[in-house]
Amino acid sequence: MSLKVGIDFGTSNSGVAVHDGQRVKLLPVDPKNVLPEVIKSVLYITKDYRTYLGQEAVENYYRDNVNRQRRFVKQWAGEIDVYGAEFGHYVDDVYVYVDELKPGRLLQYLKTTLRKDNYNGTQIFERYYSVGELTRTYLSLLKERAEDVLGETINAVTLGRPVKFSDKPELDHKAQETLSEAAHEAGFKDVDFELEPVAAALYYEQSITKPENVVIFDFGGGTLDIAVMRLGGGKNRKVYASGGVDIAGSDFDRTIIKKRMLSHFGYGNVKHYPEITLMINAISDWMALPEMGTPINKNILKKAILAKVVPVRLKALEGLIYNDLAFTFYNRVEAGKIALSSEGATVISLEDKGIALWELYTRSQFESDIHHYVTDVEKVLLDTIAKSGLDVEEIDAVVKTGGSSNIPLFTGMLAKIFGAEKVKESNSFSSVVAGLAIKAFGSNSVV
Amino acid sequence: MAFNKKIDEWMEEAEERPTSAIAIVKLVANRLRELTERNEELLAENIALENGTRVDEYRKQIAHLEYQLDLLKRRLAVDDVSSIELPAIAIVEDATLRILIYNARGRVFHVELNEDVKEVGQIIGNLVGDDEPPRLLAVPSNDEISLLFTTGRIETHPVSNIPTLELGGKWDWDQGALPNEPHAGELLACIAPFSHLPLSDFFLQISRRGCANKNMTSMAQSILNNHYIGKGALQKSDQPLDLMLCREKDIAIFVTYEGKVIAFDVDDLSYTIEERSRLSATDYVIASFIAQPESQLLCVTQTGKVIHRESKSIDTSKSSTAKGKALIPPSRLEKGVRFVGAAAVQDGDQVAVLDATGRLRILEAETMIGAGSIEADGLVLSIGRIPADSLKRAEG
Repeated sequence: MSLKVGIDFGTSNSGVAVHDGQRVKLLPVDPKNVLPEVIKSVLYITKDYRTYLGQEAVENYYRDNVNRQRRFVKQWAGEIDVYGAEFGHYVDDVYVYVDELKPGRLLQYLKTTLRKDNYNGTQIFERYYSVGELTRTYLSLLKERAEDVLGETINAVTLGRPVKFSDKPELDHKAQETLSEAAHEAGFKDVDFELEPVAAALYYEQSITKPENVVIFDFGGGTLDIAVMRLGGGKNRKVYASGGVDIAGSDFDRTIIKKRMLSHFGYGNVKHYPEITLMINAISDWMALPEMGTPINKNILKKAILAKVVPVRLKALEGLIYNDLAFTFYNRVEAGKIALSSEGATVISLEDKGIALWELYTRSQFESDIHHYVTDVEKVLLDTIAKSGLDVEEIDAVVKTGGSSNIPLFTGMLAKIFGAEKVKESNSFSSVVAGLAIKAFGSNSVV
Repeated sequence: MAFNKKIDEWMEEAEERPTSAIAIVKLVANRLRELTERNEELLAENIALENGTRVDEYRKQIAHLEYQLDLLKRRLAVDDVSSIELPAIAIVEDATLRILIYNARGRVFHVELNEDVKEVGQIIGNLVGDDEPPRLLAVPSNDEISLLFTTGRIETHPVSNIPTLELGGKWDWDQGALPNEPHAGELLACIAPFSHLPLSDFFLQISRRGCANKNMTSMAQSILNNHYIGKGALQKSDQPLDLMLCREKDIAIFVTYEGKVIAFDVDDLSYTIEERSRLSATDYVIASFIAQPESQLLCVTQTGKVIHRESKSIDTSKSSTAKGKALIPPSRLEKGVRFVGAAAVQDGDQVAVLDATGRLRILEAETMIGAGSIEADGLVLSIGRIPADSLKRAEG
């Protein structure tokens, strides 16, 4: 019997797990991550076509970009048809400014590209990568990592897929086809799929004795996915409705940074220095921050520090941008946020390379900072239930999964809508991938 | 945000969840303790500044920098440039050529070489132990060296600070100097000359498994302040082998135990750790260096056989999957022939050879190439290049 794993290929994060018939083992495919069992769904392709994924991709992207020179050259990008009421129709050349010293491309939201109608791929330096090739590259690297951990070859996979990649059936079909082909090309001989909410609820489904109407509330790092389902054995399983919104853990991290951290780096004190304001505002966006690390910006910061413009804070900003500390900083913020799910107060601190950041952060501060998201989440949840044709009272259980579902504000919201007794907790960080591994084991035993 | 507002928010939390009050008090108390300690440190620093001890430290640092500057001036031969006026330096020694013999435990023998004496000495006792064979480095006495450890830690020392041993003597490793003792769990990876740092563009690290890592020398201050340059290896089990200073357009070469030679252009490297060759599971890098176009690549097997090629005949590889040029034929590999040392030598260079009896002697590179082998008492353990220009410099 060949080895079969479950892979949760998520929009923001992915994971690999294997089930041995007794228990699920989540594979530490990204040892550099805070949670090694979770790997960022990002791919970094360098100019010489070396490929990296996960935290390694991010770190290489930072290392290659901080303090590097930029040289923008005008490049012909194609032609555009221009139509106008007065001047008729003509074709014009389109030029873009390209940084010719760019050392690589960082690609994220690979899963989203699968369902895009008008997006077939992208040019990376001299080579064109189709959506399938990008997905294949990511999956084959992920497979290699998993094989390194297990020490044996993986031949088969159960991949998770959303209830609907797209509302258009042809796009939905195309997305699964592309994903399936990419997985085959990545070296998986046997590929099958399971709906992500079904995988997330697999543990719960095994514990129920009669069919139930269940809401799966999968609130992770990148997106919130909601599914209203009928569970209770394969025959009775039915998806009534699904929905989601791009609100999740990374948005809360960004909010904490914007509201609580930026002042430590001079925010509010450098109004007359637009370049520095731009650098400070980039802190909340991990992809934008390394772009700020240019020699010109370093000079601007040095001059401002010499001119005694909030020198301590700007020194901290310089330290953050130019000393490879950005990810330590983001990790501290994330750790602080996670701590507030169980504690009333925590400290987010970073002391290194001129940075002396210390922020006592309480749960009530956090809840006040992210309160506006609750309204959006509640609306999406109620809309999805309405789409299912069921009333709130007809819901028997709400299975919450994903790290963000542990935030007391959202647990409270679910309890308020459905009643605390109906809110069931699944393994926060692993239920989808664990369910996929169980499914993989089950289907593999009959291969 | 005003600090008072923050305090109000903490109070709100304490009122809303009384259990949080204990956590807040603990966190604030810890912070207070940290700040008190820091305040004490700053006050001590202030006292040191006031009573002048810090000034003395800075003076010493300035004297050391001036010494380095003078060293550079000599290397650049700008003594006669009247426009460059340098302050008088207290201690200026005549440079002599030295050889450092060091092992992975951090022990170093420092011997002053004499042009007439070819038998440098002998290491007695346990020569290798469980570690890699000792390595050899020839440096002028006024040079500065960097010690790179397997954890990525880096330390620098003037050569002159290491006690010298008598030429022609017999030495036990216990007699070796320990300029910087390896920390728990780490070994000394290499010693590299360091004083031409201002004339270099990059640090280049090579790992045992063939990874290359390039860093700009503009990062030197940060690296030296932190005493950390990194392992320069992708795999956890991999270890750094060499640290070199190089310039733009330099060609780096590494040679492996199983006879592969891989050359690459330093400019082609990105500033990340890159695997430059796919080595077989049993293979690893034994030597790496920067090769000048006119140099000869000289490789020595454990039995003393010398194989040489013109450096320019080694094609540079751009691919990370390059297997490199094989210098040991498969039939010889099967018989167990392996490389133990390699260097890029030029006219007039000499080579220090250490054999398994512990005997260390100096041979002319041209003679070695001409003879095609080294007559050794036992198996050859390692070799070290003695550049002709360092001989001349030391004499001059």
